[in-house]
Amino acid sequence: MHLNELRLTNYRNYKKMELSFENKINVFLGENAQGKTNVMEAIYVLAMANSHRTSRDKELIKWDEEYAKIEGRIEKKTGSLSLQLVISQQGKKAKVNHLEQKKLSEYIGALNVVMFAPEDLNLVKGSPGVRRRFIDMEIGQVQPVYLYHLGQYIKLLQQRNSLLKNMRNSSQEKMIMMEILTDQLVEQAANVIIRRFRFIELLQEWAEPIHRGISRNLEELKIQYNPSAEVSETMDLSKIVEAYKQKFDKIKDREIERGVTLAGPHRDDLSFFVNGKDVQTFGSQGQQRTTALSLKLAEIELIKGEVGEYPLLLLDDVLSELDDFRQSHLLNTIQGRVQTFVTTTSVEGIHHSTLDKASMFEVKQGEIFQTK
Amino acid sequence: MHYPEPISKLIDSFMKLPGIGPKTAVRLAFFVLEMKDDDVLDFGKALVNAKRQLSHCSVCYHITDRDPCSVCEDSGRDHSTICVVQDSKDVIAIEKMKDYNGLYHVLHGAISPVDGIGPEDIRVAELLKRLQDDEVKEVIIATDPTIEGEATAMYIARLIKPTGIKITRIAHGLPVGGDLEYADEVTLSKALEGRREL
Repeated sequence: MHLNELRLTNYRNYKKMELSFENKINVFLGENAQGKTNVMEAIYVLAMANSHRTSRDKELIKWDEEYAKIEGRIEKKTGSLSLQLVISQQGKKAKVNHLEQKKLSEYIGALNVVMFAPEDLNLVKGSPGVRRRFIDMEIGQVQPVYLYHLGQYIKLLQQRNSLLKNMRNSSQEKMIMMEILTDQLVEQAANVIIRRFRFIELLQEWAEPIHRGISRNLEELKIQYNPSAEVSETMDLSKIVEAYKQKFDKIKDREIERGVTLAGPHRDDLSFFVNGKDVQTFGSQGQQRTTALSLKLAEIELIKGEVGEYPLLLLDDVLSELDDFRQSHLLNTIQGRVQTFVTTTSVEGIHHSTLDKASMFEVKQGEIFQTK
Repeated sequence: MHYPEPISKLIDSFMKLPGIGPKTAVRLAFFVLEMKDDDVLDFGKALVNAKRQLSHCSVCYHITDRDPCSVCEDSGRDHSTICVVQDSKDVIAIEKMKDYNGLYHVLHGAISPVDGIGPEDIRVAELLKRLQDDEVKEVIIATDPTIEGEATAMYIARLIKPTGIKITRIAHGLPVGGDLEYADEVTLSKALEGRREL
């Protein structure tokens, strides 16, 4: 799939902006703080209805304006689609082909994107929250029902935590309520975990050969999901439910003492192993970067496998962070297959023939001009 | 902008209603000024009377102008079935259908620890008291299919189970007259879960 047109109204530093793109590499060139990343973010938000940089939607609206609007026309194998997302104080409204979508989970997935930003180089050594966010966003765009289960899970978690905070002076009513909320939580947890297991398995299948390629056959990558209960990918839904029930039974007293839920998908993590060694603790900076790059490239293939089309790739200021070899590996992989958007402060240091064929845009103080 | 006091008070009052913001409140207030005196008087009376003359039925807690309410007093209705709902508005929705002939019990809310609403804050104890009467044979739980509604349903079911009274939960799934292909995945999976034998 590819993005033909993008229109922004009152989005961050753009009052009004209209661009059209070709299905190839599009480079945004400009000094810092001119609005390059804002364009990337807008494309990302158009796809995911959420920013990768902030959870406060208000920040996306231009200062002193009531609303921000992102519109795009995408070309898919099945035909062309127009997408529109309006962000206001009242919330978000999404339209596909001018039809309003009641649930955002029905909107997400119409356009698929993979974003690779400097933060993503932190995927390996950053906090577990970064890695959970990574899997949640990626599963969400290929399997919208995942977002429903995750949303229910988070709501239940809040209910359960509120109850746990009041459990010290416990009554029989509270104990019954606790059991009920635990049962409901466990069910959603199992639905989340089982999809995460499947996702990790697929990601592993794609990432391994890619990583071997980038490391010139020297490294073997393994991805492992670390759940907070004794569950494994071979279990079915009912077995996972059972395992979580046992876990919660075991930690009941500790949970009441601490006043928070101590197990479940919100506490799980990922580990990455290169040649059997945990990259997070023993890997070099280079290995951590290669791992992050392999994961992102694997994601592109994974989405192609699940959806049937390549997603868009957004490379926000990362090309310059990669050395020559990794750069050309990346560019070779996407060449001619994936519509790609790149931001950079200069094309110096990016030596590659693909860039010669790329469209170039200059970004200056909230204005964008196509230069090639 | 400075309004004379009577009208700014009226605007403030309108703004207390749900769904009405400052602009709508101003429009409504100025509209009232243009209305006929009698209509305004009737409107005012209707507001006061609705609040004064309506109370909750002491049996089912539905809103009523007499106690017990007309549903609870109707001897033609099936007194062995009680339908438990979250809100008085739900009673009215079910009554519109004209297919249900049992009694109701209005909880006035759902259990939600996040909002500080526990079982003791809704009319659960009152429901259990009603069930001590031998007449009741079935309790239909018709709380909303949300997390809070679902938790409330399970909580009530847990308490009633020991009494041996039949407990049922209303079905959720596909809307009648809807096309299967247009249903979202979650609704579909719920509908599949609640399938029945033919």
